[in-house]
This record gives sequence, C-alpha cells and structure tokens, in this order.
Amino acid sequence: MKIEGQYTLPGPPAAVWERLNDPAILAKSLPGVEKLEADGPDRYRAKIQYKMGSVSGSFTGAVELSEKNPPHSMRLKTSARGGPGFVTANGQLELVAKGEETEVRYSGDLQLGGLLAAVGSRMMEGAAKKSIDEFFQAIAASLGNQPT
Amino acid sequence: MIPEAFDYFAPKTLDEALRLVERHGDEAKLLAGGHSLLPLMKLRLSAPRYVIDIGRVKSLRAIREEEGTLVIGALTTHHELETSELVRSRWPLLAEAAAEIGDAQVRNRGTVGGSLAHGDPAADYPAAIVALEAEVVVASSSGTRKIPAEDFFVDLLTTQLRPGEILTEVRVPAAREHSGSAYRKLHQPASGFALVGAAARVRLDPGGKIESVAIGMTGVAVRAYRARAAEGVLTGNKPSRALLAKAAEKVTDGIEPLADLHASAAYRRAVASVYARRALETAILRANDVRGNERKA
Repeated sequence: MKIEGQYTLPGPPAAVWERLNDPAILAKSLPGVEKLEADGPDRYRAKIQYKMGSVSGSFTGAVELSEKNPPHSMRLKTSARGGPGFVTANGQLELVAKGEETEVRYSGDLQLGGLLAAVGSRMMEGAAKKSIDEFFQAIAASLGNQPT
Repeated sequence: MIPEAFDYFAPKTLDEALRLVERHGDEAKLLAGGHSLLPLMKLRLSAPRYVIDIGRVKSLRAIREEEGTLVIGALTTHHELETSELVRSRWPLLAEAAAEIGDAQVRNRGTVGGSLAHGDPAADYPAAIVALEAEVVVASSSGTRKIPAEDFFVDLLTTQLRPGEILTEVRVPAAREHSGSAYRKLHQPASGFALVGAAARVRLDPGGKIESVAIGMTGVAVRAYRARAAEGVLTGNKPSRALLAKAAEKVTDGIEPLADLHASAAYRRAVASVYARRALETAILRANDVRGNERKA
C-alpha cells in the first residue's frame, strides 16, 4: 500500500538533515526501537518491540539510507521481521526550506507478509501513519519544538 | 494456533481482580468473553504473561436502571443487551448496535466491557455510546473515574484505560422524550466489522424542529468520534431532505479516514456520509412516531 504525507519541522533543512542522519537520534525517535547499531555505512540493524493496545511483537529490522543528496533528499528503506510476519517500507524523503522551517515530504510503499498481512491489514495503514507521526514528533522534539 | 504460555487467574470479586491487575500491570491482560483477546493470543499477536479472567466477578454482570440512568455492567454480553426489555424499550439504540455485532456466537460470549476496552476502531458500540453521551466507568485500587464516551477512545486499539484499571460499567443518561435514534452500518462482509457505522439520536421540539442531535461515527477513523460539524447544521432547523444531505456531507469534516484493502479513504468518506444520512432519517422518523404516540396518550 502507498503511504505519503508531510510534516513541517522547526529549523533549516541542514539541521533536519543532521538529525535524520544521526543514529543516536534515529534510535530514540523510531517507535519501538530498543537498539540500533551500525551495520556498514548508512546501514543500521535494529531491535524493535512494537506495541499497540493488545497487539505486540518483537522484530529484528534493518534501516538503510541511500541516494543521499544533502540536505534535500534521500531514500529510506526499512524492513522488519518477527513472529507476526514482516514489514518492509521503501520511501523517499524530501526536505524543502519554508522560511525558518523545513517541510519534510515522504512518499513510499509499505508491504506486509505473514500473519500481519493476513489479519493486520485492516489496521496497518493507520498503525503505519501513527508510527510515522511519532517519529516526526520525536525528531521535532530533538529540534526543540513541535511539528505543525 | 496455540498461545504462548501464561499464568491464569480467576478472581471472584472486583477487589481481588484489582489487586491482580495492580500487581501485574502492563504484563497482564483481562479476559472476559475472550472474543477479542483469544484470537490475538492464538495468533501470538498478543502474548500476555498473565491472563486475569474476570468472568466470575458477578458484580460486573448487570443491566439496571438507577434514577433514570442505565447502568450496564462490563460483563454484560452483546446478546443480553440486545434482548433486554429495559434496553429495547428505553435505549433502543444500544440494542440495535448490539444486534449488529459479529455473529450469534460472538454475541453470546463477547462482552460490552471487553469490546470497549479493546478499542477496535470498527467496533459497533463506540458509535452508539458516543451518540448517547454515555460515561465509561473504570476502577483501580485507588478509586474509580468516569470518562465521557467521546474521550474514552484515543487511537487504534488504544483507550484511556491505564495499566491497573478495570472497566466496570457504562452509564447511559436517561432517554429524553420526543427523541428517536438509529444505528446504520455497512458491514465488512468477511469480518462483520463496520466499514462505517453511524449512530444518530435526534430530539424534536413541539414544533417539529430539531432541538438537539448527536451523531457518533465508527469505522471511519482511528477512533469513534462525534460528528459535531454535521450536528451544527441540523440543530434548530426543521428536518428536510436537503438539510440532512447538507449535514451528512459534513460527518467527516476534520477527520482523516482510515484506508485499507477493503476501502480507500475517499470511499469511506463517501459511505460515511450515506450511512449518517440514513441513520438520521430513521432517527427523525422514530422521533416523529414517538411524538405522535405521546400526543395520542
């Protein structure tokens, strides 16, 4: 399924870019990520404990940044696998200066497999949106403000 | 289809149950009818370390009237609510919503409290209790709190319930005279859940104008909500086809509809409007019938 949206974050694109490329900030901001470690340049391995109401599961995942064009755009590929199935998301991030702020536009594709796809598809897009919201809120908090 | 191992408790009183949820907090799940929790556990999408079965807590199984207010115990099954004479005669919206849930097996086992606590965005009750301006009562070892239905649902599968709390009852204010209500739902054919569900409650004044109206929507967004923009169009006006159409267009104002395999956001927006209009039409017809009967009496 397709996912897309946009957020306005405080600060110029260079500052936002720096946060999005800082593993310590990513580890803190990605929902459910318990551990994030480097696995080569622009590649990270993650341990994820996801919880949404009664539903929970442990995943191991990977995050890969590519096609970097600082501070304007990059491609973000994430995948996670665990007991309930797997999720992969492949998306494009674009940073556009808007006065003092930066507009981050994302668009991508979300794929599910296993049980998650069989029984979770009804809520998956909502859950993905919620996770992305939480991620950008955390990035905004690290920039010292709330997204609009 | 076999859950992970868990410890099982079967308290007989609310106090005992509260002590258990306080001790085990986030690692415990409450089991009532088991029709939301057990499927998740069997699929291992949920793996609580402790399962606290409150099915033997008799004080939570009740349907009664207290000074005009309907009190529904958390363990009341959908079938009990659907067939209760008190509910059918005075709060028919609830019976109508209960009758729409799942299938006969689900309605025989599933409970009001379990359904609400699970926080499924497409469950039927939320629309009805939001439209009825009910309160959800939750208890913990430090006391009880009452949460307006409209505020109870927070997000996907997420309510205001905190670890250590148990949903004990739902309190529904007295039904007003000259009022009518209706629940209209588009079933997702495989699951029986609401692709969209609209609950409307309308009160007419003696001149036939809409004195007050409440519209609760489920299945549309991450949580049930009250369609206040649509209500604003209706209040104080005489019902007409054009007025209802105008109001129905506004039921998703400010709402970001869910999208999934079965329905895109745009489709949900469109059918939400259609089902809200149908619920309103029926609620108004019923309010007129009530008015007619009251005049005769």
